Amino acid sequence: MNKVAPGFLGSVLSHFPEGLVVVSGSSGKSTTTKMLVTILEAHGKRIFTNPSTANISQGLTSALLERASLTGRIDADLAVLEMDEGHGALLSPQFQARMVVLTNVMTDQIDRFHDTRKVLAMLDTIASRASERLVLNGDDALLDSLAADVNDAVARFGVSSEVFAALPRGLGYAATTDARDTAGTLVTGVAGRSATIRWDGADHEVTLPARGVHYAVDAAAAIAAARELLGTSFDPAVAVAAVSAMPAVFGRGEVVTVRGKQVEFVLVQNPASFQLNVDELEEGLDQVLVAMGSDVADPSYFWPVDASRIGRARIVSGSKANELALQLIYQGVQVDDIEPNLPAALDRFLALPEPASGIKTIVFTADSMRRTRTHLGLAE
Amino acid sequence: MSALRILQLFPELTNVNGDAENALVLARRLQWAGIDAEVVPLAAGDPVPTAAPAAVFLGSGTDSSLVRTLAALDGIRGALSEWLAADIPLLAVGTGLELLGRRIDLPEGPLEGLGMVPGEASFLPARVAGDLVVDSVWGRLLGYENHGRGFALDSGVTPLGRVAAGTGNGDGADGVALGSLYGTHLHGPVLARNPAMAMAFVAAAAPGTGVDAYARGRADGVADAINAATLRRLQL
Repeated sequence: MNKVAPGFLGSVLSHFPEGLVVVSGSSGKSTTTKMLVTILEAHGKRIFTNPSTANISQGLTSALLERASLTGRIDADLAVLEMDEGHGALLSPQFQARMVVLTNVMTDQIDRFHDTRKVLAMLDTIASRASERLVLNGDDALLDSLAADVNDAVARFGVSSEVFAALPRGLGYAATTDARDTAGTLVTGVAGRSATIRWDGADHEVTLPARGVHYAVDAAAAIAAARELLGTSFDPAVAVAAVSAMPAVFGRGEVVTVRGKQVEFVLVQNPASFQLNVDELEEGLDQVLVAMGSDVADPSYFWPVDASRIGRARIVSGSKANELALQLIYQGVQVDDIEPNLPAALDRFLALPEPASGIKTIVFTADSMRRTRTHLGLAE
Repeated sequence: MSALRILQLFPELTNVNGDAENALVLARRLQWAGIDAEVVPLAAGDPVPTAAPAAVFLGSGTDSSLVRTLAALDGIRGALSEWLAADIPLLAVGTGLELLGRRIDLPEGPLEGLGMVPGEASFLPARVAGDLVVDSVWGRLLGYENHGRGFALDSGVTPLGRVAAGTGNGDGADGVALGSLYGTHLHGPVLARNPAMAMAFVAAAAPGTGVDAYARGRADGVADAINAATLRRLQL
């Protein structure tokens, strides 16, 4: 499709009256994008955005084609687009962005990116397209190194030193800055789905679409970007209400009733998010199913994650079930059953009687999440 | 008897692919065999532990951390030589092996290694990432590789084994076997994936303890299942 319409993407992207915002980074980009769009729409802006499944060039072109008129224009004030770091870097010569928002750099997709420094170089290329402002995670040392090139044009978000001190394993970034920021848009407190976010010297209470500090950081990123984009028309109360009204995200700690049983679904996207999510699991859960799918080409780089808190896994499933089970067994997790066939595993797991303690919990990678949704008939 | 110490060298720099977790695998197997064992991480720049370890693991890191890892290794060079002279097993994976060699090719120019392994790391025609299968004295070893350089051993130096699938050193062999020092491009939990190799490390780490190093556990059946599927997929 990109061959059919060379230059199409760049031409459409450059014609939004209030410009283009690009969101990229290792993780949190789709949540940050959704939050930013929600805040801007609550301020009356008409936004063009892409579904997170279309964050690479082909999907992006399709998403634009669906909306573009015959003259190649899309009727919206502003575009907010999530871009995969690799494809975003390749596309960057084709667009000029008003703002670039960078979430973080984590060890992810090692077989594709090899080295976090390469990811940083890609993000640097994307960042170089920002004409007005670069919004970046001030706690991420690799991203912070990009700020030197642009100086005044940077806005930062992050967590306070109190929030950071309460995280036993840190934030999961490939490298963290030595000291916390005190300016910018800061997460100053997190408890479950409640967060306190501070800007301009005032604290604001925000309800998150899922629990965990990384969602609070995503909210801080979206608010930091919205403050810059909207300037004096930014209304803190409108922004807080918009984020707080977002529905819970499937697979991010949402509890769903399936076949009459309450089930909590937990999505893990990379080693850092696996660790963060395992650390947030209730201790001594009676019924846990863990599934790893073909989206993880080489599961060995998940071994640095200490998954011992899972304690007991009733079933380990997915196409990488044996690889995952091997890690869990060596980490001291009791593995009752290994069933690579995910539908069969889900049926057996859901048929178990109500757990003696806690809630039925399914921890899965993105591929296993998609298959689980299909099998259980859960809507996208 | 105090716990056997399984030394993990600079895990903050050398655990990108999970290689440092081989220390956990060995400690766990010793525990399963009834031997008290613990993983002892040594951070870069920390003083050398006074008590000799039962085994030493050096994993692979990113190219951007090579210089720091080399400096940390240089700081324990004397101890490393003593341990190897005492036949203490050492496994070096990926860039860990490269740093023990004489020289590493880098885009900005070559880096001098520790020179404990007679060999040099040079660029492969292209980066490789995928399955690696090596026929060794412990039988067929399976795992993953992900690297941009090969490793040329001086003539007469014994590799860990011959490559049956994948790239390894880049010349049909993989790694090195030099006394109690073993090197490989098989990254991640190679001991967990390859029970026979793990058994050899258990025997070497706990000599004279009467431990049944060759007892198979449940984890070994799981490893066998992974390896059988890999061999089917590779049509080996």
